[in-house]
Formats: sequence, structure tokens, C-alpha cells
Amino acid sequence: MSEVPRPDDTPPGLYDEAGNARFFADPAMDRFVAVVMNMAQELWVQEERLLALEEARGATPVDREAKLKAFIDRIFAPIRSA
Amino acid sequence: MSVELQHPMKPELTAEEAARGRFVSGIRSLILNDLAADMKAAYDRRAAPAFARAHGRPPQTSAEAHKALRGDPAFNIYSAMRVQAQKMVWASVADSVEREADRLAGAAAAAGGRVTLNPALEVPKNVGAIEVHLMPGSYTRGDDSVEAGAVYDRGLAVFSMGLMGANLDDIGLSMSRYIALKYPDFRPRRILDTGTTIGHNTLPWKQTYPQAEVIAIDAAPGGLVYGAARAAMQGQDVQFVQMCADRLDYPDASFDLVWSSMFLHELSKKSRAAALAEAHRVLKPGGLMLHMELPPNAEMSAFDGFYLDWDSWYNEEPYYKGYRDEIPQENCVKAGFAAADCFQFVVPSVGIYGEQAIADLVASEAAEAVGQATTGRLAEGVMWFGFGAWKR
Repeated sequence: MSEVPRPDDTPPGLYDEAGNARFFADPAMDRFVAVVMNMAQELWVQEERLLALEEARGATPVDREAKLKAFIDRIFAPIRSA
Repeated sequence: MSVELQHPMKPELTAEEAARGRFVSGIRSLILNDLAADMKAAYDRRAAPAFARAHGRPPQTSAEAHKALRGDPAFNIYSAMRVQAQKMVWASVADSVEREADRLAGAAAAAGGRVTLNPALEVPKNVGAIEVHLMPGSYTRGDDSVEAGAVYDRGLAVFSMGLMGANLDDIGLSMSRYIALKYPDFRPRRILDTGTTIGHNTLPWKQTYPQAEVIAIDAAPGGLVYGAARAAMQGQDVQFVQMCADRLDYPDASFDLVWSSMFLHELSKKSRAAALAEAHRVLKPGGLMLHMELPPNAEMSAFDGFYLDWDSWYNEEPYYKGYRDEIPQENCVKAGFAAADCFQFVVPSVGIYGEQAIADLVASEAAEAVGQATTGRLAEGVMWFGFGAWKR
């Protein structure tokens, strides 16, 4: 993390000792959010590989963008109630 | 949606790399559309009323809206996910840039783009030492290789979700169309783009005014090398020069148009003032200074101001809020322009709304209506804010 000047009216307590932004009371939660997003990305990569295999075997081509939107909406639905 | 660049320097992605980039664009769409709407609802329902109970009035500034929302569950999840998505933008393109480094270097060398580097130039901290937008290595990654330019180009394609055009040139296309229609008698012969990065928003000016000599400057060498090749491969004759906008090495009254896009907010207050003064100095009488930028806080509600200023606190954009707290016209006057010669405007994205939308706005003179809800955001609709001044 680079040494970054901050806006003059930056409130205290926005960053950890390394300068990383923190949002949750428990810093582990910030990391957990990143883990969940990384896992979802890895799962989507595998999903596209499966789609490619199925299409190679004659399945009807799938609209990747539409399927991705449904995939993301399904996984992250619980946070929409925040 | 994700966007596939359409120029010859575009990446040859593996299926896995394409899937990673597609996911990042998709998750950013969720964050910037759905989670942003959830946060606004939480602001209206919980945060702003709580602030009003505590202070006897609702939040009135961007900073107060930030204070009201800080700790709210909707703010926390929006922010934590947006920070991680930003890191994923750059991570999603790093592998392809590294893998294709030799191919890109060879292509750039063969392209014959026009670029002049200045190894003696001291690269400012905001260009090389701050990881702007959480971009690893900032703008000087890889020194004068094409690496930084390729990361920026490919990363911006993922970041923009298709809303900046197929070659990331929607800002330049929209603004140049607007100026050409609004001022049909203005035909610049010499154009300077300051803070060009990779020239993505420079090329539209050459396309709009093909007879003009177009020069694009930046302090970071790698982006210029990449940008020069990128321009040459698209058949655009643009000269790229390593130079700082606040210390122009050009004589007085030597340009008809000085332009920048998404640049001024990355400068310190002192550098920004110097850059505007330099623009005034190098413009010929009758010349135009024009900047596409984020709209000022004065034109927006407290929440909308906070929504943009979020980047200043959490996306390594340290000068962003300070810039947005300023009034563009006041800065232009301090730079030497007459107040009566200053203007500001909002134009619709030509890629989303089409050329006719710009023509209609010019005809109706509605383009000066600043402060619309979509201005400056990468949401489902995009309006670009600009300001400028004519030099007498």
C-alpha cells in the first residue's frame, strides 16, 4: 500500500495500520467479504468452462452475460437486505 | 456487461482470463447499480434521519452524508465489495499483460508511433508513487515498457462495464461531437491533450478535426509508449510527449484547444492551478480550454456528492474530493480567463444515447443543465460533465 495523502476532512478510524480501508467492526469481516467474492469468481470461471464443454458437445450456446447476472444475483441475494 | 477492446493492441485472452474479467464487470454492475440503490435507500430511511435527530438538520455536505452513512450495514457492504472489486479489476488483467509482454513490445516497436520521452523528467508523486484507483504500480509500472499502458487499457475495459465505449473513447467522442456541433466555426489547427495516459480520449479529437496537429502529453512514460503504438495501429497521427501539464514546454499562444479528460482531479490543488494557468498561457486568442471532469459538489445533493467522493477516501484518489469542492469557473478565472468566457455543460454518452441525442441537446441548449442524477457515474445511464473557457 502506497503512502497516500488523504482529504483534509477525512474522519478518523477509516483505515487500519497498513492504510487499508476498513468498514466492519471486526476487521476479519472485511477480509471475509473479499474471500467470498474471490470464491464466487473462481466458481464462475468453472461455470464458463462447463458451458464451453457442453457447447462443444452440441448444447445450445448460452448468453454468458445473462447467465452471469443470474449467477451473481443468486449468490449475493442475502446482502440485498442490508 | 464486459467490453472487448476493438483495437489491434487488444489482449488475446484465454478462456479463463475472459471469464475472470466478465465476472468483475458483472459484480461491479451489481455494486454500482443494485447495492448503490440499496445504500441510497438506507440513507433515506436510516442514516439521514438519524443524523437529523442528532444535529437538528439533515446532512448538508458530502462529508456529512459520509458521516451519516459510516457504519450503516448497506454502506459497509457496498464499500467493502467495491474496494475488493476494484482490486479484482487489476488482478483480472495482470496475467494476460505479463503473458503477452513480448508480443505487445514487438507490436509497439513495429507500429511506429510517434513518442518523445524525457528521462530527465521527475515524475510527480501523484503519477508514480500513489497507487491511484488501487492500481498496483500506479501509472509508472514497468517504467517505459508498455506494461503500465496495457494494464490501464485492459483494466479500464473491465472497470467500465462497456460504458466507456469499445475503445474507451466515449468521453472524447461525446465531448468532441458536442463542441463540433455547438461551435461549428471553431476549427482548431493545433490541439493539446494534457494527462492523456494512453490517448484513448485523445484520438476522437483527431477524428473530429483530422486536419489538426494533435499532441498528447503525460508524465508517465509507459502509457505514452503504449498509447503511441495504440494510436498508430488505429491509423491516427498523434504525437505523444512526456511532459507535465503544470510545466508545459511550449511557447505562449501556440494551441487552439487544450483538453483533458478525468485528469484534473488527480492533481494536487497547487498543480491543478498551475495546469490551468499553463493552459491559458499556451492558448492562442480565440482558443478553447476544455476539461471533462467530475461535477462539483456545489451542483449536487449531499448524498450524490458523497457517492462520488467515496473514491477519495477509499479508492486512493486523494485529491478527488478537494477538486470537487472547488468551483470550476473560479479556477478558470484564477487561471486568467474572463468570467464571461467560462461555461460548463453536461452531454449524454454518444455510445449509449447516440449522436442525435447530442445534436438535440445542442439545438435545445439544454446541455448546460448540470447536476443530473447520472452525471459522472458509471451507472446504467451516463452523462459527461465538462467545463471550459474561451481565451480572448
